[in-house]
Amino acid sequence: MPNMTESEVLDKFAQIVAKSLRIEASMVTPDVHLNDLGAESLDLIEITMETEAQFHIFLPDKSILETAVEVFGPGILEKDGYLTEEGKRLMFGRMPEADQRAFSGEVAIKDLQAYFLKVSTWVRMIQGLAQYTPAECAECGGAMVPSMGFRMKCSKCAQEITLRSGEELNREWVREYYEKEYRPGADAPVSATAV
Amino acid sequence: MDGLACEAGLLAAQILSPGERAHWDSMRAVEKRRREWLMGRAVAKEAVRLLLERDLHLHLAPPEIEIQPDAYGCPQVNLVGQAPSPARGSQPRCALSIAHSDGAAVALASLAADTLVGVDLEGLSRRREDFEAIAFSPDERSLIAALAPELRDEWALRLWSAKEAVGKAIGRGLTAGLEAFHITKMETSTGMVTVDLQEAALAQYPRLRGQSLNVYTARESNFVFSAIIYQHGVVRMRPSRQEILDYLLQKMGELTQDWDYTDPVGPESKLFTELGFESLDAVVLCTAIQEHYQTPMPFAELLAEIGEQQRDLSITELTDFVNAHLGAADGTRRVQ
Repeated sequence: MPNMTESEVLDKFAQIVAKSLRIEASMVTPDVHLNDLGAESLDLIEITMETEAQFHIFLPDKSILETAVEVFGPGILEKDGYLTEEGKRLMFGRMPEADQRAFSGEVAIKDLQAYFLKVSTWVRMIQGLAQYTPAECAECGGAMVPSMGFRMKCSKCAQEITLRSGEELNREWVREYYEKEYRPGADAPVSATAV
Repeated sequence: MDGLACEAGLLAAQILSPGERAHWDSMRAVEKRRREWLMGRAVAKEAVRLLLERDLHLHLAPPEIEIQPDAYGCPQVNLVGQAPSPARGSQPRCALSIAHSDGAAVALASLAADTLVGVDLEGLSRRREDFEAIAFSPDERSLIAALAPELRDEWALRLWSAKEAVGKAIGRGLTAGLEAFHITKMETSTGMVTVDLQEAALAQYPRLRGQSLNVYTARESNFVFSAIIYQHGVVRMRPSRQEILDYLLQKMGELTQDWDYTDPVGPESKLFTELGFESLDAVVLCTAIQEHYQTPMPFAELLAEIGEQQRDLSITELTDFVNAHLGAADGTRRVQ
């Protein structure tokens, strides 16, 4: 569903969370964190699976920061539990301005982890990934329906496509950032557009 | 700790340091989560308090044992108002891990040098249908599939819990991705689960390269529990059969010290008919042996076999059993 608005995504996501945690959907507001709603690790797994099934997307298995650290190598983006200046630049490049402002001074990894559990972060991630899931078949224009695994199938011509993996997309974004924006030693501010 | 018997605010006022109190007051979480956090703090402080008392004769009140997360979110112990002792040069270092689930909390602490601890708790009722598909790799799933059907749900949760415990032990949780915590082995008789860290997790904790990690898992009523204690660099010689026998004779002497039995305990002494063991004594002995060698052994099976065959067990036989279960005879083994 590529064209859902943010509030449509939020409503649908809130239903998934509410059902999993047995709470009222009205409690699932953009600023709240899933762990503060009582989600344990296995609840997060269930929420991930339900979200993937209902939005027809393939969520990443780890945060963009972990993927970025793998691409950049150790010690460049994060050191002793805090983002480096380079790390802040990369992470802030993915965040709306309002979210950036919530981080002042040092950014601890634990605070970023909390940020990744924020409902609004999930909503934006879902919306971003949903763009890659076509509603219509590129061949014949028929409606796409979910198929086995992370696949979609055309209801008319049976053409099948595999969903883009969130982790792959994260990795591509990081690689591009690394090539274009990362200048070892340079301290010039860079601008990166959010996916 | 299971359930919170008193009013949460009252407990908070009793056990939290001013810094922890500020966090508690600012927590925006739902009541269930706040209570679990508080229970976690309560059991963790108690575990640390008992250790300090037993090993260092340090008598502290719970608010003096402050627990604050580090930048990665891993709990760190800070003894409030404790001047660094001249003998130690600094505060006692205490490794700590806390877990809560489904209204219960558990903590594991160690004062041993250079030691990692990790603990996890999962309520069985929270097990999700089909969570294996996302939580495990195909070969991990085939480990579960090889089990008897009635064991699969519980063991799937044990394996998940073992990954969580290792993540906590390395201080970074499962942020490296689930496949970075690869389960290679499990033993239903002892509950032991072996986890090998893959590259993404080793990048976070390079010192564990080349090490397999053994996690002890258990089920207790509606919970599955996992724990790992790992001490860096401790390699002990594998004891010889004679050393095992000497240890068992000495242990047996200690256990039966206050009993009526007066004859000396020898290799051919029989546990039940001669030494007057009862089943509870056998459990105490088996636990002591496993702790001493830091290796789980299938004692339950041995005792069941003896029960079935209606025979007794000599110390020699017990020595052979321990000897057979102390792992590879390559001279050394890792002690965890």
